[in-house]
Order: sequence, then structure tokens, then C-alpha cells
Amino acid sequence: MTTGPLGSGSPRGRGRGYDWLERHALQLTALLTAAVLGVMLYLPVGVVFAEALFLDGRLSLAHFREVLTDPFYFGVLASVFADPLAVGSHYASLVDWILAGFPSFRMGLFGFTAYQAALSTVASLALGLPAAYILANYEFRGRRTIRSLTILPFVLPGIMVAVGFYAMFGQAGTLNTILGVVGLGPFRFIERNPLAIVIVAHAFYNAPLIARITVAAWESVDVRALETARSLGASPRRAFADVVVPQLLPAITTGALLTFIFTFMTFPIVLALGGLQLATVEVWVYARIQRLDFAEAATLAILETIVSLALTYAYLRYESAQAGMSRAATPPPRERLFPDLRTVLEPRRLAIVGYGVVALVVFVGPMASMVIGSVTDGSGFTLRHYEFLVQRQAEGATYQTLPWPAIRNSLLFGVATLFVAMPMGVVISVLTTRSGRGRDQSGRWATVIDTLAMLPLAVSGIVFGIGLLRGLVFGIPLVGGWRLQVTGVVAIVAAHAVAAYPFVTRNVSPLLADLDPSLVESARSLGASRYRALLDVELPLVASGIVAGAAFAFAISIGEFSSTVILASGGDTYTMPVAVERYLGRRNGPAIAMGTVLLVITGLSFVVVDRVGGRFERD
Amino acid sequence: MDRRTFIRTVSGGTAGIALAGCLTQDDDENGNGNGDENGNGNGEDDENGNGNDNGNETDNGDEEEQEDEPDLEGTLRVATYTSMVDDEEAAGTWLKDAFEEEYPDATIDWTVPEEGTSHYIQQANQGVDIDADVFLGLNVDDLVLIDDNTDESLFRSVDRDRLEHVDRIRDDPSVEFDDPHDRVLPYDTGYISLVYDENEVDDPETFDALTDEEYEGTLITQNAQQSDPGQAFLLWTIDAYGEDGYLDYWEELLDNDVRIIDDWSSAYSAYENEERPMVVSYSTDQVYTNRFDGDMSRSQIGFLEEQGYANPEGMAIFEDSEQVDLANAFLDFVLSNEAQAEIAVRNVQFPAVADEYVDLDEDYAEYAHEPPEAVSLTYDELSGNLDEWVDDWGQLVASR
Repeated sequence: MTTGPLGSGSPRGRGRGYDWLERHALQLTALLTAAVLGVMLYLPVGVVFAEALFLDGRLSLAHFREVLTDPFYFGVLASVFADPLAVGSHYASLVDWILAGFPSFRMGLFGFTAYQAALSTVASLALGLPAAYILANYEFRGRRTIRSLTILPFVLPGIMVAVGFYAMFGQAGTLNTILGVVGLGPFRFIERNPLAIVIVAHAFYNAPLIARITVAAWESVDVRALETARSLGASPRRAFADVVVPQLLPAITTGALLTFIFTFMTFPIVLALGGLQLATVEVWVYARIQRLDFAEAATLAILETIVSLALTYAYLRYESAQAGMSRAATPPPRERLFPDLRTVLEPRRLAIVGYGVVALVVFVGPMASMVIGSVTDGSGFTLRHYEFLVQRQAEGATYQTLPWPAIRNSLLFGVATLFVAMPMGVVISVLTTRSGRGRDQSGRWATVIDTLAMLPLAVSGIVFGIGLLRGLVFGIPLVGGWRLQVTGVVAIVAAHAVAAYPFVTRNVSPLLADLDPSLVESARSLGASRYRALLDVELPLVASGIVAGAAFAFAISIGEFSSTVILASGGDTYTMPVAVERYLGRRNGPAIAMGTVLLVITGLSFVVVDRVGGRFERD
Repeated sequence: MDRRTFIRTVSGGTAGIALAGCLTQDDDENGNGNGDENGNGNGEDDENGNGNDNGNETDNGDEEEQEDEPDLEGTLRVATYTSMVDDEEAAGTWLKDAFEEEYPDATIDWTVPEEGTSHYIQQANQGVDIDADVFLGLNVDDLVLIDDNTDESLFRSVDRDRLEHVDRIRDDPSVEFDDPHDRVLPYDTGYISLVYDENEVDDPETFDALTDEEYEGTLITQNAQQSDPGQAFLLWTIDAYGEDGYLDYWEELLDNDVRIIDDWSSAYSAYENEERPMVVSYSTDQVYTNRFDGDMSRSQIGFLEEQGYANPEGMAIFEDSEQVDLANAFLDFVLSNEAQAEIAVRNVQFPAVADEYVDLDEDYAEYAHEPPEAVSLTYDELSGNLDEWVDDWGQLVASR
């Protein structure tokens, strides 16, 4: 990266030190980011991944061969992996299969995992995009609040979502109770098709993610081109397809990619709702770790990571090929949703109402049912579960898990994560989108770096947790019998930031890449440092992406479980999800009450984060 | 020399102290750790009355000197599982208070490793000092997992001569660990059984009945790979059908549409929302139903083949513990009359000692049911087999 003409960019009255700092701010942030990633991500993950690469102390691919050729894992592909050069016979069996009329075949664990992830992605798009459309194009009371709350499902512990889904969709659940009032049901929603309910649960988590990312892009759309197209005689539909859709596609694809990766690595929710018959690869990673078979667990986890990173790479090549044309965020004006009573009956508005009902059932239903569960027991309404929380807070011993420290820690870690993850994510966006523009060699490298930067999303959470335990909690052996240990608050925040910054990057990068590069070039030619140009020219234009990224960073921190529980062990640095898990006993009441506290506190914080962030957006 | 204390001080981290990292040095064989890291390490010294911190003597010296008179001072680090300390009426809080009252110079420090015994297996295998003295909450399969994965014994053999109450333990398979090295003492036990809704189904009474049409789509159980009751139910079928027959039985169960949900909480949640009328659970279910004003007709206990699968919980002292005297005192205390009653009621389990050594309330027995016959697989039967059994079962289920 070149620097501007010496000294010319510095405002009067600032020292040389400041100049230096300003010119190198990006590089310094990048270095710090690399250091954090090295210690908090590559090291712990490397400790576990190394197990897959060694057999009896020697470097070996035997573990991979074993997994790849096992029909349990790879189904019909296993025979292809076993003998990859026998092209003729593989071709013949493919032809046989086609001639037999595409009968069902053995997918293996990896095949099934990818299959359910693909279905979940489609379902999440189907439920998420209408929400984005409504939130970006219509004005109504509570729009901003709903936009803020969209990522709420994201922070809920898997066990709470499972409990919420049973309470909503179970035979004695809320939905059947409501339907019963009008004389319908009861329906066996979950029993009839467990795979379908797992996919709906995945959509519960991920449709809001897609909606949130897409809304951010929609609010950054440059609609002046739309007006031009219209004035040239394009129909509204045509103008929308030619002007708006291309500007949204990177965000939509990002959301779809993230959804696929998340649901590919899904763990608690599949087994809690679907059962072991619907096991995914991550379930086996966990089972192997339980049995201390680290080699096979690491092998499976590496294969998961390879799949996720390969998809990420493919997507990023596509993203970097998108030409930037946006010069300013001039989002479409928002219509009133229901300007008067008559418009309610318009087909488009009826469809919106219909979608609203579906959203109520899928998103609000499970959460509301959870809240109801927190105030009921065998005999009806009760406050005893909350009494437990109050009593624990008042009388609990120091070694017990108390509600208030959990709330306080969650909020503190969330805010700290937000401030650490934002510069990390933005600096990676800047370094990769700018040089990544174009299809030359350096662009390819930037894409590789950008892909590797997505590693936190592509690594099994279970492996990450075990790596933290074995690497950082037990300590890394150094020369002379010393051990480097990293635990405590800083370690937790760093681990959260590592998990969160990809969301900042993925929210900011598409918007940044879409900016007209001449904007920065002219600022630079006028003497602004790269850092100044970023701060004063680019970031304000992509503010909606940054606010969305910040909200995600906060949400990731609040919802994070697997690394927190390892790093918090033995101390009082536990968070709300950890408290939920620890309150699970022989009845779920206390844990559900704590889960409800988590829901309410997080919901309020999202509204605050978005309101504060909104001041930086040009709305 | 006392690196452990130092690390605990550090990782225990008091509120608000942000600690990014720290360097520690392993004890080398000569025991001359130079002690300088102790110097900066707040030098918290365990309220250890012996003082002797700069001692050039090795620690074993102390132990030998005091063999006649047990050393009952200091901190005892007891590792356990979450609900022991975090349940509504946690047995752990009572145990700590009562024990410290009995031994005023002693302190119990609870530690709850997320990974359970696996935490200590990994510490042992990586040459990290074990950071606990006693483990409270071992099952037989933990012992098998430990022995299959470590070279040296993690726990020491029970010193029966030094335990006054050890002979009170029931002579009964339901509390038997059958450990060839005699490392574990049971402190309570529980039974896996069916819990069913009598408005919907009759007690199936036999394993075979569960594969009949009448019980099609009625049973929820848990994933044996990650859930204790789930694994117990699987082992129970192995006990019933043998290692050559259990997979055939499970084929039939799967054909009859059994649901295998990951853990007890989700499975029970599905049961509570009337997804299915039967769930694999504990034979003490009615105690909770009574406590939470539930419907007893939906809390019926089914003992298949008039059996329940016993899951005794045990305790053991770590081989490297330097608080063996205090640890022995703790084990003995746990087996005392009052402690046995408290633990049983608070954990909603059954005592490990014979009836004459424990006074349980009459109405406790009203809701906590014991099966006519307790079955369980022994250490020898599980050793070397457990992994394969569970894995074969998992593959069978997930391949369908």
C-alpha cells in the first residue's frame, strides 16, 4: 500500500507522532488483528487439527483415507475416494443410476449434512427475504425496533430454542392450543416430519440473519440509477431487476453462504428436535471428542472446514468480480405500510399480512412459548422459577452461578467484543476488497486471505473449545518447562471478537466493494492518508453495514457458548448462556426463566445498539 | 514449588481483573522451581497452617512425618458436575457447610470442569498438574474411559483402613463399581426406567413389548453418545440381549419408530409437550412431579422386566493429591448418616449405605421408586467394549 505525499495530509497543529500513527493506523490494526488471530484462533485450532495429521508420531494421511473411504461418512462417494482413478467404473455406475430412474442412494453423514444445510438455506431465504423487503421499503410503527430485534433468535442457546419449539409446535403446544379454539387439530407438527421441523428451526436462526444483512444492503442502495432507468422508459419491475437486484445480490448471497455454513456445522438443534436419525457431521465430532478420539474428531472437523472454506472462496471470487458503481447511499423512499383502510386489501398488502402471520408463528411463537414456559408449572401460572433466580442472587454462594454476574458479564463482554471486532473486521474488509478488485494474481491472493479470515465461521465450535482448553487453559509448553496460559476476561473477549469479526467483514465488504473506487482515489490525490480516506469517505457510505456488523458482533458475543464455558471454568466470568446451561436440572423451569432474562436483556440491548448506531447512519 | 496454587489464583480470576496471559513453570524433578513466579503470584498460601512455604524439604517429607496424626487442615479441591453445586437444592452447598463445620480448619473449593473426567485425562496425558484432590460424581463408564485413555492411574486406591464408614456401603449390585484397583466409593445411586402417561399407554413391562405395534411411535430415549440416561438405556438392552443381539433389538425398536433425542432436557421437554407418551428417565420422577405440582398420571414409572438400570455415582481421590488425609476425611464424611440422607434427598437419588445407617423420611420413599431388581454392567464387562458398542449403535441409528 502506498502512502500519500509526506506530511501533506496532516491537519495543522498535530505532531509528527500523530502523523505517523495516522499513516500507519491501518497496518497497525492489521498487525494487532493478526496477533489476536494467531493466539486465539490458529494456535488452539492447530493444536487439535494436528492430531489428524499424525499417526504414531509420523506425518500421515491415514486418518483422512479412513474417513473418506468409509461409506458411513461419504455414502456412495466413499468408493470413488477409495479408488479415484477408476473413472470408467464410476462412470458406469453413474449411468446405471440414471437409467434406474434416480433411485435414492446412500448419502453418508457428509452428504446428509450438506443436504439438510441446502434445504435450510432455501427455507431461510424464503422466510428472510420478504422480511428484508418489508423492512426496507415500508414505513410503519415499530419498524426500527423490529429491524433491531431481527437478530434476537441468533443469541438463543440451542437448548432454549428446542424447548421453545416443543412448547410452540408440540401436540400440547401453543399453536395447537390456538388452533383448538377454532376447532382444528391437534396436529403432530414435529412428529409428522422431524426433518421439516429441524429446517424450520434453522430458518428461525438464519432467516433473520439473511434479512438483517439484506436490509443493510437495501438501505445503502443507490436508487438514482433507478430513477434514470425509469425516465428512460423501463417498467418498475424491469428497473428493479436491473438496478436494485444487482446491488442486493452480494448481500443476499452472503446471507445464504453464512446460513449454509452454519447449518452445515449445526449441532445441538438437530439432535434436540430431529433426533439421532438426522445426525450431522458435527454430532460425530462431538461423539469422537467425548470418547477422546481426537484424531478422528479432528479429521472430520478439518473436512468440514474444507467444505466451508471452499464455498467461501467460490463466493468471494464472485463478490470481488462485482463492479463498483455506487457513489452514495440513497436508499429507496419508504412507503407507508397501511396508508388507509382500503389499501389493506391490495394483493401486495394482503401478501405482507400473510407473511406477517407466518413470521409470528415461526419467529415470535417459539420465543413467546418460552416466556410462557418460564411462568408455568404443573399447576398453571407460577413465579417460582423467577423466585429461584432472585433467591439464588440473594443467597447464592460465591462458587455458585448467580444471575446478576451472568447478565453483567454478558453485557460487558458484548460491548468489549463490539469494540474489538469492529476494527478487526473493517481492516480485513479494506485490505481485501481494495486490492481484491479485479481478476489479476494479487486479487486472487486477496481472496485467499479473505477466505482464511472467515476461518472462525468454518471451524467446528466443539474443536475450537477443546483447542482453547488444551492450548490456552492448560498452557502451551515452551522451552525450559514454561507454559503460556491465556484465560480470564481478556481471553473471553478476544475469543468472542475472533468469532464475531467475520460478521463485520461480511456486512461491510460487499458494500465497500460496491463503492466507486474513484471516490477514494480523489480523496487520496487531494492528500488524505488511506486511513483518513477510509474514515471520512468510505465508512460513512457503508455505515448501515457497519451498524449491522456491530449488532452481529454484539449478538455473537452474547450468544457464544462453547469457548466461554471453557475459558470461564473455575471463575466468575460466566455469561447468560452458561448460566442457562448450568440451571438445567430435572425440570427445565429455572433454565427457561434464565433464558427469558437473556431474551429480554438482549432484546433491549439490540434496540439500544441500533439506536446509537443509527445516529451514524444517514437515514 | 506450589505452582498449582499460583495457577488457581490466576485462573480463578477475581471479578474485574482482566488477565490476558501468564507464564508458569513446571515443577522439575529436583523440585527447585526457584519459586520466583510464586513471588509475583500474590503468594496466596492456602491458609495452610503448616507454613513452611520456602521449605527446601519436599512435600512428601511432610506427609511421612504426619502419618500418625492426620493433617486435616487446608483447602480440599473437589471436582464435580454442575448440578451438584448449581441445583435448586444443591447437595454441594450442604456438604461444604456441614464438612467445614465438622473440620473448622478445612475449606472445600468446588471446581466444575466443563468436560468432566475428560478434563483430568487430558491434563494427565499432557503432563499438566491435576488441579483437584477429589472427584465427586464418577460413573462406571468414566472409570473405563479413564483407563482406556491414560497410562497411569488417575486415582489412588481406597485406603479402607482409614475410613470408618466404608463398611456401611450396601452389598448390592446397584452401588457396585467392581473396580479391579478399588479406587472408587459409591455415595448414591439411581435407576433408569421408563416414565409414561397412563392415560395414553399401559406399562409395556418387557423389552419385547416395546417393539409391538401397540407401542409404535410411543417411546423417546436419549442419544447414548452424549447422555447418561441414554447410555444407561443402551447398556440395559445390551444386558438383556447380549452384545451379539442388542443391535438386532434396536433395529426392531427403530422400525417401531423410537425417537432418540440428544439429551435428557430436550427429551423430557418433548414428553412434557405430549409429543409421545413414554420417555426414558429416572425412577425418581414422581419426586419432581410432586414438587412441581405435576400430574401423577403422567409420571408413572415403568420397570421393564421388573428391572431398573443402576447408575451408581462414586467418588475417588486423585493420585497426585497432597491432601490425602483431608480427602479421606471428606469421603468418610460423605458416607456418614446425615450426609447420606441429605445427598439422597437433594440429588433425588438413593443412598449408597445400608438402610440402618441412614434415616430417610417416609414420604421420600412414597415417590422415589426402586426397581425389584437392579441391573448394571460391570467394569470388566464395559472395559474395552463400551466405545465400540456405543459407536456401532450410533452408526446403526444415523445410517437410517
